[in-house]
Amino acid sequence: MADAFAYAPAIAVFPLVAFVVALVFGTYMPKKGAFAGIIATGGSLLLSLWMLVTVAGGEVRHNSEPLYEWTAGSAAAEAGAEGISFSFGLLIDPLSALMLVIVSLVAFLVHVFSLGYMNDEGETGLPRYYASLGLFTFSMLAFVVADNLLMAFMFFELVGLCSYLLIGFWFRTKSAPSAAKKAFLVTRFGDYFFLIGVVAIAATFGTVGFAGEDSFVVAAEAAIDDGATLFGFDAQTWVTITGLLVLGGVLGKSAQFPFHTWLPDAMEGPTTVSALIHAATMVAAGVYLVARMFGYYALSPTALAIIAFVGGFTALFAATMGVVKDDIKQVLAYSTISQYGYMMLGLGVGGYVAGVFHLMNHAFFKALLFLGSGAVIVLMHHEQDMWEMGGLKDKAPVTYYTFLAGALALAGIVPFSGFWSKDEVLFDALIVGLEQPVILAAYAMGLLAVFFTGFYTFRMVFLTFHGEPRTETAEDPHGVGWSIKAPLVVLGVLAAVAGFVNLAPIAHIAGWDIAFLEHWLDGEYGSVEGLTYHAYHETVAFEEGYVGSETITMLLSAGLSLGLALAGAFAAHTLYNVPEPERHATKLGGAYSVLRDNYYQDEYQVWLAEGLTLPLARAADLFDRTVVDGAVDGVSTGSLFGSSWVKRIQTGLVTNYAALLVAGFVALLAALGLYGGWF
Amino acid sequence: MTVAVEYYVLLSMAMFCIGLFGVLTRRNALLFLMSVELMLNAANVNLIAFAFYHGNLTGQVFALFTMALAAAEVAVGLGIILVLYRNFRDVDVTVPTTMRW
Repeated sequence: MADAFAYAPAIAVFPLVAFVVALVFGTYMPKKGAFAGIIATGGSLLLSLWMLVTVAGGEVRHNSEPLYEWTAGSAAAEAGAEGISFSFGLLIDPLSALMLVIVSLVAFLVHVFSLGYMNDEGETGLPRYYASLGLFTFSMLAFVVADNLLMAFMFFELVGLCSYLLIGFWFRTKSAPSAAKKAFLVTRFGDYFFLIGVVAIAATFGTVGFAGEDSFVVAAEAAIDDGATLFGFDAQTWVTITGLLVLGGVLGKSAQFPFHTWLPDAMEGPTTVSALIHAATMVAAGVYLVARMFGYYALSPTALAIIAFVGGFTALFAATMGVVKDDIKQVLAYSTISQYGYMMLGLGVGGYVAGVFHLMNHAFFKALLFLGSGAVIVLMHHEQDMWEMGGLKDKAPVTYYTFLAGALALAGIVPFSGFWSKDEVLFDALIVGLEQPVILAAYAMGLLAVFFTGFYTFRMVFLTFHGEPRTETAEDPHGVGWSIKAPLVVLGVLAAVAGFVNLAPIAHIAGWDIAFLEHWLDGEYGSVEGLTYHAYHETVAFEEGYVGSETITMLLSAGLSLGLALAGAFAAHTLYNVPEPERHATKLGGAYSVLRDNYYQDEYQVWLAEGLTLPLARAADLFDRTVVDGAVDGVSTGSLFGSSWVKRIQTGLVTNYAALLVAGFVALLAALGLYGGWF
Repeated sequence: MTVAVEYYVLLSMAMFCIGLFGVLTRRNALLFLMSVELMLNAANVNLIAFAFYHGNLTGQVFALFTMALAAAEVAVGLGIILVLYRNFRDVDVTVPTTMRW
C-alpha cells in the first residue's frame, strides 16, 4: 500500500486541472464546467478515502522527497538563513488525512449542489464560478497536505484570493465587490502577522517543517529545554511571540474577534460558496493551522490561553449577534464565527481531539445548513429574509428534515453530532478552567453561547419552516431537483451520525472503547512521531481539576450545555413557533440596535481607519514629503546650483583651457615655492 | 668662448612665454599651432643647453624625439584644422564650442 502516497499529489491536482479546464473550455462544455469540477473533486474524494485507509493501515508520509525544491539550503551552513531549505512536500498523517476527506467531500457535494443552485437558476459567468471553485478546492487541499509553514502560508494566501474571487462573483452589484474586497483586506491584515511569524520562525529555528526531527516544533522544544535566549527573549517568550504572530493569520481567516467583520459581508457570494468557505475551506483553514501547529502552541501556555479566551469570547460575541438577524444566511454567518470560536476554545485548552472533532462535525452540519439555506433560497425565488418565509415544512420535506438535522447538530442537542463535539470542547475547557481563572472565563462565555446558539438556530428553523406562510412565494415555493436534495441527504445523515466517531462521555462512563477519533488522532493506526494527541497532551502543561470525580464533572458539563441548548431552543419555540410570529427582538430596545449593528464593529473599524490611521498616514506623508524628500531634493538642488556655476568654466575654447592650465601651473609653482622655502 | 647656461635658459624662457602668449591670445588656429611649436622648441633649447653643459648626449637625443613628435603633432594638428575649416568655414578657434558637456 506504500505507493498510495505516490498518488497523493493528485488529490490537490485534480481540482487544479478542473480549474484550468473550466476556465479555458467552460463556455463550450455542457453545464459550463460543472462536470469537470464534479469529476475532479469526486476523484479527490476517492483518493482521500484511499489515504484515510492507508493511514489506518499504519502508513504515513512525511520527510520524504520533496515534490519541488526552491532552495536546497547550503549543507555547510547548519543554521541561519543559508541553511534553510524551502520546498513543497506532503505531510499525510491522521489529521491531514481526515481533513482531506472532509474538504474533498464537502467540495464534491457543493459542486453537485451547484448544478441545481447555479445552473438551473440560469446564472451567467458559470465557467468563472466553476474555475474559482476548483482553484479554491485545490488551494485548500494543498494547504491541508502542506508539510511546512511556508507552503502552508502560500496556499493560505491562495485560499484568500479564491474567496475574493467567489465572494465577488456577482461583481455587477455594488455590495459583492465591496464585500470581496473587505474579506480580502481583513484577512490579509491578519496574514501580515502570519508572514512575519513565518519569517521569525524560519530565522530562529532554521527550518519551517511541521513534522519530524528537523521541524521547528522540535527545535523550539529543545530551545526551551536548553533555556536558550532567542532574539533577546527567553525561548518560551519567543515561542509565544512567534506563535501569536502566526495566530494573526488564523484569526483573520477563521473570522475570530476582532477580524470577524468580513465574514457576514461575505454572504454576498453565492450560497454554495458560503457553504464551501464556512464548512471546509477558508474559515476552517485557520483552525486547521492551529491544529497542524498544535505542538508549537502547546509549548506556550500563554499563547494557548489567548487562543482559548479569544475563542470563548468570539463564540459568545457572535452568537449574540446571530440572535437578531433577519437574513437566513446572516444568521448562519454569525453561527460560523461562533462555532469556530468553540474550536479555538477547544484547541486553546489543550483539547486537540475536541477541537478537531468539532471542526469535522461543523464541516458537515454547517455545509448542510448553508446548502439547506441555499435550497430555501431557491424555494423562495431568491428571497433571504426569514420574515418573508414560514410554513415551508410541508412543502419541502427533504429540505426541512435535513435542515432540522443540521440545526439540531448546531444547537448541540443529543444525540446529533454537534452535541458530542461541543460538549467535549466545553468539558475540556471546564476541567482546565477549574485551575485557571482566565480559561474559566472563556469556558463561561462558551457555555453561555450555547443558550444563544440554541435560540438563534431554532428561531431560524421556526421562522423559515414553521407557522403559516407569510408571503405568496412561501405559499407556492419553487421546486428543487435531485442535485439539491442528494447533497442535503448525504450531509443530513452525516450531521446526525458523525458524532458517533467519538462518544467520549459514553466511552468513559460505560467503559467501552468507542472514542475512535481519539484513537485515530492518537496514532493508534498510523502517525508521525510527535504529532499525536498523547505527545501534545504531555507538552500542554495545564493542570486539570474536577468537581468531585471526572465522571461527575463530565455529566455536569454535558448536562449544563445540553440544558442550556434545550432552554435556548425552547425559548425560540415559545416565541417563534406560532402561526404568526412577531419581532420580539425589537422589544430589547437599545440592546437590539447594538446587536443589529454588530456592536458597531464596522463603525469603530471605519473610525479607526478614518479617524486614526488616515491622519497618521497624512502626517507621515507630510513628513515624507517635507523632511525626507526635502533632504533628497535639497541635495540635488544644491549640486544642481553648484554645477550651474561650475559649468561656466567649460567654454569649449582651447584658449581658456590653456589659460587655466597655465594659471594652475603657476599657482602650483607658487605653492611649492612657498612650502619649499624658495622665498 | 662658451656662453653661460643661464643665457640659454633665459632664451628658452622668452621663447616659451612668447609661445604661451600666442596660445592664450591668438584665435587663428594656424598661429595657434605655430605658438605650440615655439613652446616645444623652447623646451628643445633647454634640453640641448643642459646636455652640452653636463657633457652627455641624453638631452640631445630627447631633443630629436621632441622634433619627431612635433612633426607628428603638426600632421595631426593640420588635419584638425582642415576639418575645422571644412565644418565651420573658418579657422577661428573660438567658433567651435560645441564639444563641451
